[in-house]
Amino acid sequence: MNEPQTPRSEWPLPERDTLTLGMLPLNDAAPLVVALERGFFATHGLDVSLHVESSWAGLRDGMQLGLLDGAQMLPLMPLASTLGLDGRSTPMLSALTLNLGGNAITVSNALYASMQAADPEAMAQSPISARALAAVVRQRRAAGESALRFASVYPFSSHRYQLRYWLAEGGVDPDRDLELRVVPPPLVAEQLEAGWLDGYCVGEPWNTLAARRESGRVLIGSHAIWQHGQEKVFAVREAWADAYPATHRAVLRALLEACAWLDGSAQRVEAARLMCEKGYLDVPPTVVEESMAGEGTPAPHGVSVFHRHAANFPWRSHLRWYTEQMRRWEHLDVAEPVLEDCLTRCVRPDLFREAADDLGFNYPLVDVKSEGEHASQWALEGRRGDIAMGGDQLLGGVRFTGRG
Amino acid sequence: MTVKVLIVDARPERSRALEHALRDAGFDVVTRADEHDDLYAIMTRVKPDAVIIDAALPSRDTLEHMGQLGRRFPKPMIMLAEEETPDLTREATSAGVSAYVVEDVQPALVRSMVNVAIASFEAHRALKGELTKTQTTLSQRRTIERAKSQLMEMHAFSEDAAYQWLRKRAMNRRLTIHEVAQAVLASDDVES
Repeated sequence: MNEPQTPRSEWPLPERDTLTLGMLPLNDAAPLVVALERGFFATHGLDVSLHVESSWAGLRDGMQLGLLDGAQMLPLMPLASTLGLDGRSTPMLSALTLNLGGNAITVSNALYASMQAADPEAMAQSPISARALAAVVRQRRAAGESALRFASVYPFSSHRYQLRYWLAEGGVDPDRDLELRVVPPPLVAEQLEAGWLDGYCVGEPWNTLAARRESGRVLIGSHAIWQHGQEKVFAVREAWADAYPATHRAVLRALLEACAWLDGSAQRVEAARLMCEKGYLDVPPTVVEESMAGEGTPAPHGVSVFHRHAANFPWRSHLRWYTEQMRRWEHLDVAEPVLEDCLTRCVRPDLFREAADDLGFNYPLVDVKSEGEHASQWALEGRRGDIAMGGDQLLGGVRFTGRG
Repeated sequence: MTVKVLIVDARPERSRALEHALRDAGFDVVTRADEHDDLYAIMTRVKPDAVIIDAALPSRDTLEHMGQLGRRFPKPMIMLAEEETPDLTREATSAGVSAYVVEDVQPALVRSMVNVAIASFEAHRALKGELTKTQTTLSQRRTIERAKSQLMEMHAFSEDAAYQWLRKRAMNRRLTIHEVAQAVLASDDVES
């Protein structure tokens, strides 16, 4: 197989060559699977084992107990761990984003029909707003019926805040109008069928799977809520990064190369095969292929961007967008200086730039960018020439400065 | 106080054995559930002081959410302030046990409960030879590899053709590659 090789002499030699990294069975774990199975880790002198965890809680425990050296994580998890909000207080950081986008919101067939009946005009729009849902909520309340139930995947998840953003934009108050739950992605389709859930926001391949099973209807993808919004990151403990800086840098190089490789849709189909064939993702292979490639009928909504548009750069403003969402819903009660300090600790563009320089990859020169300013591609000054950035629109035409 | 425990486990035999062991140790097992039950409804109805859940179940994240909802819901064991918690949590993790506990349960009782669960899970594993979560991925991979080898031998397929055969069958039957591979190995019948 892929034996670890001696890295190029101009790169610092990794302090450790044997690593255990954690992931969840999701499409956006592809960079880790590809880095292992296509030999990118080996090129950088690393012998990596990938642990497939069943839950974000299990992955968090593994990281906080030191059983994992690094892991795929939700963007808010390193911050929540550092602040002691999630599990045992353990400083963590991320120096690389694995992907942008990849989630979608799905509702049951019954709720879809009610939304159609309540507000056909709103349902005919693209992207579909939550206005029709607001109408259903009003009807149900008038009839004395119980609140509809929606799920996301974890308390500190991008899904939770994307779902709330979409609901609020359409005039639904997520705390007053609905019952919000956490249900793991492998269970959402069956709970939708059982009538325990009326809708959810999860990552691929789990939306495409529900759609293909005809368990529900996908309404909107996360790119239509926050275009090219941050989705998963690669995270390590702060103490680990301090103890093994060259190892961390080698992991970042390997992941960057894997992400660049994943930019082509043929490669993403190949990655879908690796994930199914090597036992990482126990889902029908065509579902994974369709949702990875972004092809099929109808086209999947939750397509991940793995590299282009500076996707891997750890924007401090991306995490700030999530912390501002937490504040909006009164989920985060910390003083601004504490939060600012935490954002500086948890997001490390400086470490990303070292790894990118090793490879001669381009990167942005600033750490913060605004969101909601660009409907289509735009140019950003980079270390090695201009970078073609993707659109960054927010649903409802909202602008976000990137700062608190 | 008597600690009221909820067990969440997809393996009925193991969860029955754990229920007996916990009762013998003085705990009050209020109910047993598996991952296909509605945990929100059960947690709200039985109001357990503690939950023992198979660490391989994705439903752990549902318990995390409930733990964030308020004081009355159990919190993940890793959050407990006790100095020895990391060691116990590590042991529990390697045994495939996760625990959630409300804040006012005495640390000694938590330790006792978790130790009973670890022993019970390990005894079951020794008896049944069941796999840990990490071994599951490897075992799935081995099953797929063995099925491919068998197809390559029987039909003189290339490795790629063997994968495409599995993939096509998975597509037609809406199964995963691993499920098709299991069927191939179980039946020796590889005719389409």
